[in-house]
Amino acid sequence: MPIKSWLAVDAPLRSDAPHRRAGGTHRHILRTWMLAGALVGVSGAAFHGWRALLILALTVVSTFAVDLSFVLATRRASSGRLSRTFLVGLIAGLTLPVDVELYVPVVCGALSAFVGNIIFGGWLHPALVGRVLVQFIFLNHASLAVMGGAVLLPAYIFTGDATASVSTRYYDGWLDFEGEGAQAIELQSPQRALRAFAEGKIPPDGDDYFEPLLRDVLPPWPDAVLGAVPGGIGETSLTMILIVGFFLIYRGYLKWQLPASIFLAAFVTVAILPVGLADGYRWFPVFAVENGRAVGLAYCVYHLAAGQLGLVAFLIAGDMHSSPMRVQGQILFGIGIGSITIFMRLYGVVECEAYWAVLIMNTAATSIDRLTRRRTLGTQPPREQAALA
Amino acid sequence: MKHILGPRSAFDGGLFLPDRKSLLARRPIQTLHPDGPLQVPLTVRADLRTECIVDVGDTVVRGQALARALQSDAINAHAPAAGKVTAIGRVWTANDGFLPSVTIEPDGTDQRTPRHQGWDEESLITQLAEHGVMCSEPRAPLHVVMRKAIESGVTTLIVNAMETEPYLCSDLRTLVEHPSRTIDAICDLADALCVSNAILAVPFRHRRVVRRLRREVVGRHVTIEALANPYPQCHPVMLTKAVLDIEVPVGGSPLDCSVVVLPLGSVRQAADALLADEPVTDALITVAGDAIEHIGTYRVAVGTPFSDLARRLDIRAPVRQVVVGGPLTGVAMGYRDAVVTSTMNGLLYFAHREDVRPVPCIRCGWCIEDCPVGIDPQALMKLEIVDQPSSQSATDLKACIECGLCSHVCPSRLPVAESIYRARVRVHSRTGDAS
Repeated sequence: MPIKSWLAVDAPLRSDAPHRRAGGTHRHILRTWMLAGALVGVSGAAFHGWRALLILALTVVSTFAVDLSFVLATRRASSGRLSRTFLVGLIAGLTLPVDVELYVPVVCGALSAFVGNIIFGGWLHPALVGRVLVQFIFLNHASLAVMGGAVLLPAYIFTGDATASVSTRYYDGWLDFEGEGAQAIELQSPQRALRAFAEGKIPPDGDDYFEPLLRDVLPPWPDAVLGAVPGGIGETSLTMILIVGFFLIYRGYLKWQLPASIFLAAFVTVAILPVGLADGYRWFPVFAVENGRAVGLAYCVYHLAAGQLGLVAFLIAGDMHSSPMRVQGQILFGIGIGSITIFMRLYGVVECEAYWAVLIMNTAATSIDRLTRRRTLGTQPPREQAALA
Repeated sequence: MKHILGPRSAFDGGLFLPDRKSLLARRPIQTLHPDGPLQVPLTVRADLRTECIVDVGDTVVRGQALARALQSDAINAHAPAAGKVTAIGRVWTANDGFLPSVTIEPDGTDQRTPRHQGWDEESLITQLAEHGVMCSEPRAPLHVVMRKAIESGVTTLIVNAMETEPYLCSDLRTLVEHPSRTIDAICDLADALCVSNAILAVPFRHRRVVRRLRREVVGRHVTIEALANPYPQCHPVMLTKAVLDIEVPVGGSPLDCSVVVLPLGSVRQAADALLADEPVTDALITVAGDAIEHIGTYRVAVGTPFSDLARRLDIRAPVRQVVVGGPLTGVAMGYRDAVVTSTMNGLLYFAHREDVRPVPCIRCGWCIEDCPVGIDPQALMKLEIVDQPSSQSATDLKACIECGLCSHVCPSRLPVAESIYRARVRVHSRTGDAS
């Protein structure tokens, strides 16, 4: 190459170090989270039908419309903001049940954007702000408090009609059930069943308290893991949540300590806290053994697989805007979420306990950051300072 | 197990960067003899005054003094090649901007000044000053650093061979090709400093080099310390922490802890000066980057223009960024006429300049997790516009070692390190703190 052209004419005279940056940008992070959310949404559509995609689309469009209007009205720079808005809409949609009226996702998305993003500035998870507000606004809507619902049968996933469902007392599992013409089956929500058990509403079978719950009320274990149970669009399929969660951890966009601490704290809490049985409260239900079977352990594990805990642990709690920044802080954050969720599920009255737990811990994120701050290298440790004083 | 997995990182934070040395590290050091005019700077730092002692038309030989130091902490400048002085003017350097210079037209011969093999422990420091040995960290002549160290009563000498920045491997090649010479020079410097503890810190991952050096130091009072090499393990503060488990006080230097840290590049120059009576007339630099065809480690005459170097090593694409030093802490240059100086250890020619468009912070916390000194860079950014920083923030500003890792990892592409530097300058200029 001729010497005259060795240095390009557009080369700057000076630029500041560092001159090479690490690969991950905010765009990569948001796109990866959006992909993760979309995959969980697809899994919801597989079990609950195409209407799940419609709900998701409505939430996203409504969130996007409100935030875009705000950006245009205030003429603020929107770099990266609208991508996050899209993600917020997607997450808000994932928290909604599939059989809600179509105006509910619109309102949920709009509230997520307006209250969560614009008014609170994102320090509380915007999607959850929208979700809990919708829960209050439409308090009388039975669909929002998921008691039960229809799940498409294996032969009709994605394409089936959830309204053409049957109800049965003899159910051995989603994979083995033959609907005899039906495209879906009506099931009870495992989260609702666990709540009912904690309230002592499930009658015992002689001296057995846990057996009736596990045998007659809760869905078979594979169903709970696969996602063939009623619930929010993104809440049910633990398998898909785990897949996308591990992908996020692999990419470095989610710290593994956060979901681990959430599940561990939830397990420990449910293992210790008493459940109300007919003959009084029983502490340490994890040690319950009936007919030679470790029913207490199964009961605790069902608590982890049921409800919103998986979605919260892998796709919601790790939101960078509203969670603590350091790993130690995230562990405390996760412990708070796990234990509050179980506490509210066992003794609380409000629905969506995991979402409330996240919002409660969001308010503590700044304090946790302050608490877990590292000591600056070269300063004396607090103990030594005290000794010197 | 430690012998297989290696030592653990000695500090929280830091990052194992992709080193991009697989090819560079295997290529031996090559000497690029000057074949064009050399513009030799007459001083190594703008504030160190020297006096030019040659005129236009004079003939000089290699190693001949071109400028004489006017201050006790300045050093002489020497001719890197035999030839004729054709001009006296000024030249652009990466760290100091324009400096007075002499232009020499090499005549192609290898005439040099006669060697004088004669120095003792007392005159060693004078020998270093006369031969123009420079220290790159801190950027001061080596004899000045050594005098300060002796005055501080240092007890430990750490030689820093931890090249943890990507691309750079001049230290590694020095250790591979001249291990015994390096150890000899360390012993001489340790004797001159009267230290009881001389340590050569090398990356554990270069296991064969570590083994070779350990064989070399048998019976000598030098210890080889093989360390994990997360970036910025190469920084003197982090090195002191890793080797001695001593924390340098905030805003201080290892000298405050009776430790002196010398870069291996200075030891190499000292070895040339003490063992071969060679004044500093060249720099050992790693030339790399995607715009250069023949990457490698080269011994290049001081005063060689970057353009000349680029031409000789074949450019394969127009250069959009020239970086002097490593990609994380180096200085980016846009001047065509900049020249090689004796403190350089790397020169990177990049065909692409990274497009940096900052967006608001997304609170990922990566800068906090990776910060080696445990400060909150994201919070310190705000100090650029705050008048009165809190005592904690002021301490953190002083504690920053300017490794650039916060900016490197920031997914929002925020100029974090740059903002902290500006805040630091602003606070210090207002409080009159010179540190």
